[in-house]
Amino acid sequence: MGKIEWAMWANEQALAAGLIYATGGIVGVAGQFRGWQFAAFGIAAGVFVCLLEYPRSKRGKGTSVERTGQYCFTVCVNAFGPLTRNYYVRAFLHAALCVPGGFMLATVLGCVCLGIASLIYLSAAIHGEHWEPILPRTEPPKRVGDSIKEPPQNPPPRPPPELRRKKADKLETAAYDNPMSVTVNE
Amino acid sequence: MSVALKSWRANEGPKHLITMVWIAANVFLFWKTFMVYFSEAQYYYLHKMLGLGLCISRASASVLNFNCSLVLLPMCRSLLTFLRGSQRLLNRRTVFHTCLTYAVIVLVHVSAHLVNMVSFSVRYSEDFPGLNVAQYRGQVTHTDTHMDIFFPGVTGVLLVLVLFLMFTASSYCIRVSSYEIFWYTHNLFIVFYVILMVHVAGGALKYQSNVETHPPGCVQNNLSSWTNHRAAGEKGTESSGAPQTVCQEEARFQPHFPQTWLWVSAPLCLYCAERFYRFIRSSAAPVTIVSVISHPCSVVELRMLKSGFKPHPGQYILLNCPSVSSFENHPFTLTTVSPFVLVWKCVFLPTCNISNLTVCCAFSSHPRVHVDGPFGSPSEEVFNYEVSLCVAGGIGVTPFACVLQALFDDWRQYKLKRLYFVWVCRDLQSFYWFADLLCGLHERLWRDNRPDYLNVQLYLSNTQGLQSISEERYRFLSSRLRIGRPKWKLIFQEIGRANQLKRVGVFCCGPKGISKALHTLCNSNPHTETAFEYNKESFS
Repeated sequence: MGKIEWAMWANEQALAAGLIYATGGIVGVAGQFRGWQFAAFGIAAGVFVCLLEYPRSKRGKGTSVERTGQYCFTVCVNAFGPLTRNYYVRAFLHAALCVPGGFMLATVLGCVCLGIASLIYLSAAIHGEHWEPILPRTEPPKRVGDSIKEPPQNPPPRPPPELRRKKADKLETAAYDNPMSVTVNE
Repeated sequence: MSVALKSWRANEGPKHLITMVWIAANVFLFWKTFMVYFSEAQYYYLHKMLGLGLCISRASASVLNFNCSLVLLPMCRSLLTFLRGSQRLLNRRTVFHTCLTYAVIVLVHVSAHLVNMVSFSVRYSEDFPGLNVAQYRGQVTHTDTHMDIFFPGVTGVLLVLVLFLMFTASSYCIRVSSYEIFWYTHNLFIVFYVILMVHVAGGALKYQSNVETHPPGCVQNNLSSWTNHRAAGEKGTESSGAPQTVCQEEARFQPHFPQTWLWVSAPLCLYCAERFYRFIRSSAAPVTIVSVISHPCSVVELRMLKSGFKPHPGQYILLNCPSVSSFENHPFTLTTVSPFVLVWKCVFLPTCNISNLTVCCAFSSHPRVHVDGPFGSPSEEVFNYEVSLCVAGGIGVTPFACVLQALFDDWRQYKLKRLYFVWVCRDLQSFYWFADLLCGLHERLWRDNRPDYLNVQLYLSNTQGLQSISEERYRFLSSRLRIGRPKWKLIFQEIGRANQLKRVGVFCCGPKGISKALHTLCNSNPHTETAFEYNKESFS
């Protein structure tokens, strides 16, 4: 069995956790629970995590399946370079984002789910995985070779002289000179 | 292209009907429970305390009950095999299962209960202390301590966590790339159901048990004037001038019996019984590996014998090899029924662990294997049509190889009168896996004077270079070999023209692209006299 790709599972988890975090935050803010500021933070953090996790990484081996419409997200996430490519950074970022959620009941679920996702990302980072953008492959345009500009130096190959000779009575109409002399009876 | 109504009705009708019935059942349950908590007398006081949050949370809980009980039923493979008959909608088992999990409207339920927590605190009732869950008014909003996370709360959070783990590991990508993650997290469902049974035993929400002697809104002698006035004001709009009823006794509240136990216990018992039966059946008779044969293009054939094992053509089994991994069961279709034979390709990811089995077998120390099954699959239906079209992609030919073998043994006993067999491969060598079987069946049918029974078309999708089957004994195949991908429309047209007014069963085992193309063509073929019924094979 090939290696398990932990990052793929962590990605799905983080996306779902972001949604749960944001929903818990909405409930907390709408219900005006005590500590609704944490809920507001939860909404922001949840949305941010969703945007960060939406573009899938390219798989190490095998075909990668993109999520619908992920190209623009891929470009944005790729622009941050090593910050987003490295899974250690992601693991610590998720761990940091999930902590404020633990202070309020409505966001506690989001906190725990994001924490689990952060642990799986840590495991992925330890296994040496990193995020690769799925970019459309640009085919190199088929270019005609430069040699098309140079005319040939040599004439095309011809059959050996014995086969090229013309009969003596057709010498006048021949297109080329006979390579060897011919007599009438040949 | 005109949509062929007859085909569409046969292919899509049952699926849409079942979906609509299921949605209707959910909506009905939601509405019924909502109205009970909104307007019934025994929940009057509770409703006043909690408001809409109560109704939404209880209604979503009843929908969850319904779906949690239904979720297990499609996974009872043996029961489904037994009931298979001619019910094609049972083939969509996995799709149905996944739709059910989506419908576990957890977030609605959780959100509503969170609102309930606040309501319990804000509207703490001094009049009816038995109804309260908070210990004092304003426990959540004003003070520093959290409300005691009472039993249903803790178990609820645990349930959502387990469901979160199961759900995130079950997407198509994870199943294809790391099947073990999916398998092991999905077995957490046992934990889920155990915690679910405990979750509903909390008894936080109570109903009033003495509605006759204490009708809601009645006037009590020793109650504060404010409550009396409020009660009087509400009753006044309905029955002005009527005398206020006087309460004969205090309101008494009781937590209700956990309904979930009733919903979930029957399917859970059925499922546990089935797993137990499968375990007994698979470990009762030992499986002997007769031989292991290696075929070109990294394909392995395993011949096994098991006493008392009587599969039908087209069925599949789950193979478990304890020396490779004790918990994993991988599905394989059988290619012949006695002795039963499995053929698989070593590069397929879910089966790569089993390639270690090949290594073991190569050193002629045959490991112990357990076989669970046989289970029904759509390919069994090939014999129930008069005309069938079987399309195989690469190694997907295995279920049809079993069908061909069964026809070779005795084609007369089946209802099938004509079989169109299309096999698309990437490598020429792949055709040699079953070349003998195809040629043998063709010869047999010629001798029995049924030359039109079997129509074979082989397609080689790799168009590089000159390729042909050169052996003399496979001349039947080499003349039917075409280079390039098949043109399905033309094939369907040909079949439609030759079999008018008949029902043609279309069976596909191969890549998704092919099965999608076939599915669309089945529903929209221009030959409206012929009905093409689509049956899809799926394992994961």
